[in-house]
Amino acid sequence: MGRARTIARRTFLIGSAAVAGGVAFGVYKVKTPHDNPLAEGLGEGEATFNPFVKITPEAITLITPHADIGQGVVHMQAALISEELDVEFGQFETDFGAPDPAYWNTALSAEAVPFASFDDSFGARTMRGAVDGMAKLMGLMGTGGSSSVPDQYEKLRAAGAVARETLKLAASQQSGVAVGELKTANGAVQLPDGSSLTYTDLAEAASGLDPVTDVTLRDPSTWRLIGKPMARKDIPAKTTGAQIYGIDLKIDGMVHASTRVSPRRGAMNGYEANGADTMPGVSSILPITGGVAVVANSTWRAMNAVNQIEFDWADAPYPAEQDAHWAEVAASFTEERLDKEWRADGDVDAAMDGAEVISSEYSAGYVAHQPLEPLNAIVRADENGAEVWTGHQLPRFLQQKVAAIVGCEPDDVVYHNQYSGGSFGHRLEWDNITQAAEIAVQMRGTPVKLTLSREEDFATDYPRQIGMSRSKGTVKDGKVDSWSLDIATVSATRSMSGRLGVPVPGPDTQIAAGAWAMAYGIPNLRVRAYAVPELAPTSSWRSVGASTAGFFAESFLDELIHAAGADQIEERMRLCNNDVHRKVLEAVAEMSNWGSAMGANKGRGVALVESFGVPVAQVIEVTNTDAGIKIDRVYVAADVGRVIDPVNFENLVQGGVVWALGHAINSEITYSDGMAEQTNYHASEGMRMYQTPEIIVKGLENAEKIRGIGEPPVPAAPPALANAIFAATGQRIREMPFNKHIDFV
Amino acid sequence: MQLTINGTPHDIEIEPDTPLLWVLRDEIGLTGTKYGCGIAQCGACTVHVDGEARRSCQVQIGDLEGAEVTTIEGFGSPDKLSLVQQAWVDHQVAQCGYCQSGQVMQATALLELNDSPTDEDIDRVMSGNLCRCGTYPRIRAAIHDAAAKIKGA
Amino acid sequence: MKRIIFAVGLFALPAFAESNVTLEPLPEGSVSAAEGAQMWENIHEVFTHPRCINCHVGEDNIPLWSGPHYGGEARPHGMFISAGDSRIGAEYLACSTCHGPENSAQLHGAPGAEVWLLPPVEMAWHGKTSAEICAQIQDPERNGDKTLLEVAEHVAGDPLVLWGWEPGPGREPAPYSAAELADFVLKWTAAGAPCPS
Repeated sequence: MGRARTIARRTFLIGSAAVAGGVAFGVYKVKTPHDNPLAEGLGEGEATFNPFVKITPEAITLITPHADIGQGVVHMQAALISEELDVEFGQFETDFGAPDPAYWNTALSAEAVPFASFDDSFGARTMRGAVDGMAKLMGLMGTGGSSSVPDQYEKLRAAGAVARETLKLAASQQSGVAVGELKTANGAVQLPDGSSLTYTDLAEAASGLDPVTDVTLRDPSTWRLIGKPMARKDIPAKTTGAQIYGIDLKIDGMVHASTRVSPRRGAMNGYEANGADTMPGVSSILPITGGVAVVANSTWRAMNAVNQIEFDWADAPYPAEQDAHWAEVAASFTEERLDKEWRADGDVDAAMDGAEVISSEYSAGYVAHQPLEPLNAIVRADENGAEVWTGHQLPRFLQQKVAAIVGCEPDDVVYHNQYSGGSFGHRLEWDNITQAAEIAVQMRGTPVKLTLSREEDFATDYPRQIGMSRSKGTVKDGKVDSWSLDIATVSATRSMSGRLGVPVPGPDTQIAAGAWAMAYGIPNLRVRAYAVPELAPTSSWRSVGASTAGFFAESFLDELIHAAGADQIEERMRLCNNDVHRKVLEAVAEMSNWGSAMGANKGRGVALVESFGVPVAQVIEVTNTDAGIKIDRVYVAADVGRVIDPVNFENLVQGGVVWALGHAINSEITYSDGMAEQTNYHASEGMRMYQTPEIIVKGLENAEKIRGIGEPPVPAAPPALANAIFAATGQRIREMPFNKHIDFV
Repeated sequence: MQLTINGTPHDIEIEPDTPLLWVLRDEIGLTGTKYGCGIAQCGACTVHVDGEARRSCQVQIGDLEGAEVTTIEGFGSPDKLSLVQQAWVDHQVAQCGYCQSGQVMQATALLELNDSPTDEDIDRVMSGNLCRCGTYPRIRAAIHDAAAKIKGA
Repeated sequence: MKRIIFAVGLFALPAFAESNVTLEPLPEGSVSAAEGAQMWENIHEVFTHPRCINCHVGEDNIPLWSGPHYGGEARPHGMFISAGDSRIGAEYLACSTCHGPENSAQLHGAPGAEVWLLPPVEMAWHGKTSAEICAQIQDPERNGDKTLLEVAEHVAGDPLVLWGWEPGPGREPAPYSAAELADFVLKWTAAGAPCPS
């Protein structure tokens, strides 16, 4: 209990602020940015007024600043506040809140530092603290890196607790009953005589009080919500077509726009309108960076007109043909391109000297994000500012990007975040927003709604990193003895940060993510990451580096264990040097009845990959049928420290597995003539219903720190599948997508 | 062009090759029907035309004289869920939710045709509807549940 | 099975569209055997073109996809589609869910025609040799109960056959033209409808 109080008070000094007719809680005093971020405790600083809980005589509003891209984070954030505030779903509204540095994400740094998630050394803590400080300086209000739960877990409960205790104080003063005699439930303070005072009735009185900040977070044994199955508040609207996404918004007086920019990601030499400018409903063709926009009076007319235009595009800034991309990756295992040697346990070279060395090469191509809601944005540029409506994960940077185009201060960009129809990393990019802003400044005062066609979205996506690995290893006495794992990929992190204008110093932690920190005590283990120079621009793709490195690592480990003649799970458990990781392996072994007999043409594969601090083990069962490989079942065990909502947890894990398997089976982006060859879902399909296996999920809670589950289910699935295919067929698949090498049902 | 949408007659003056999808979204303001691909690859725009499921991005408005169109809004609302929608909520299907209008419309058509769908029937009928979030296991469970309720009703 | 009958009952089964073209037969023997053999080669070239053979499929009722964006080999229609024994998808997902009365104007959009269905299973050509197809097209049991003159009229005027030459953006049309194909059939018939051995 004492620990909880300390955390609540040290992390932020909770305050309150009067708002029109009511009170805002969760206002907290962020340390002034110039203080030493490594200093213990928090100094006094200027107050920033950013409520998580706003109560007026009319309504209770919970501010949920993390972007909802499908992961249910609005509900999760509201539940964390409600747990302490004692309000029920239905009694409050939620709001994404305005972009503000006070919503800085205190958990994003976890993966940005070159230390393993479980490394709690002085160096690791120092680096994380430094990055936290940077995030704070930049006001990094962001959603990504599966950081929403770790960021908000204590913060929002504390905000709810402060609000509750202050409302009780107000009720005490009003009723004359001592605070200790008061209880709270259902959005009201309950008096001993059975009467109650609603929070909304108390709002005005509470606004005049100093907030009660000496609060204790409730013991988990008393929780009403956390850890129990919840019903997400957004689901009824999403089931009835009532949920409004960015693409559905209508702003009075708006015009519709569709864009075409260079599919070679370079310049436009020129274009022929070809009658597009005189098509019905079309008002203009406007220049934007790298192409044009058609402005019309409907989405369809704008898209149709864009398709009429003939363009002359300049060459791509990267190789025109895919083969040259692969050649560049293959040529990157050199001293000059060594980004970092992450691991050097034992002496790999000595162990291999004279031994029979097993070696293989793995590869994974570019893959598109393509969430189902195409990118869109509404921007109205005014004389001294702008207003923006769209779903995005980095609101503060969005303000900067738009401000630079509009010619105003970032704070003069009013941003309304929207529920998003998926992201998977796509809504960390900017093009739809900057394009809409570029159109809007050419018609100031008019709201411009830009909707990308699916084809334009494919052509201008920033896919996952392309990469390869080269592994060598030896076995001795039925055990894995040595392993040299070299991974070369382009750096999605640097590609993104380049577009953001914020260079990320030091090695890219993502190139070998999921591999360099593997929790295996192999006697001789070396992991080196090589940075391939930028080719086609790339971006974060659900689980980022681990989506490729995890495949490279766990597939080759399977080869080594096979060569050693050992059992795939037993040897992994023997090598495992971390209890939390070992327990997820034990869990999937038990869930899958590992080792039990399977029928003919069947096989099981296992993989263990950590992603964003969450160890995830998966066992996949396949059958080799006449029509191809059928994925029968997937068993998943993941340890996030604390499962907030077991229903949403299961849904996100199942979805992550489907995402990973679908793309591993059948999807990649290839370039020809400088352009992505895949133009729509027919050529980049992902998984569909008929290929979807049964997915059995178990959430473990052994880890000390709480983590998010959005991305971690992804990386272990492809290697577990490839390993299962090997077990069933004897064929080792070393390249994604797998359907280049084997048919699937 | 006269047609009925969710029971309401509409008289629509527009280029006859305009897809029904865009008439619904931009002209009528019914945005529950989603644009996902424009080429019948994703199923997000599924509506019912004269009782049959159709990808509204592939239906030209000029072919709909006298037709009866039902969109997701015509089947229920958050306060008044259809039986299929209730199963979707009970199973907590949606993540981002963007595909779910189309999934619900296609599942409703399936269950009108076949109130005892096997897993293979579900695979055959529902595989035209993409869900990028991967909610397929829950969609399958919700369909089985809805089928059981239909038979029990 | 009960369910399937019920299912088909729900759908307005599209009448197999009829050709409204009438043709005059060429005099018997007016075309040489060598030219007749060449005529069959031309006919076979059309029949086995993806625009035709992708739907003339067998008992699995699964149409095929092929084309520049689908890889080299023809592959089963995506989305786990089966047209069912009804050959219009009535048992599962009706073809008309996506395929309307006209081609989508969008690249890779769904093609369409007045009726959209798989030809009856006895007319399956996929996986068959030229000789087999040649015998099949002359057999009223397996050609829709047609004389060869009626076959010529069918290929000249059936809306779904004609679609093969107007398949929409991004798809390669069948070779020659519908009128030429009908002419090939007439000449081949006049030569005694020779089949390759």
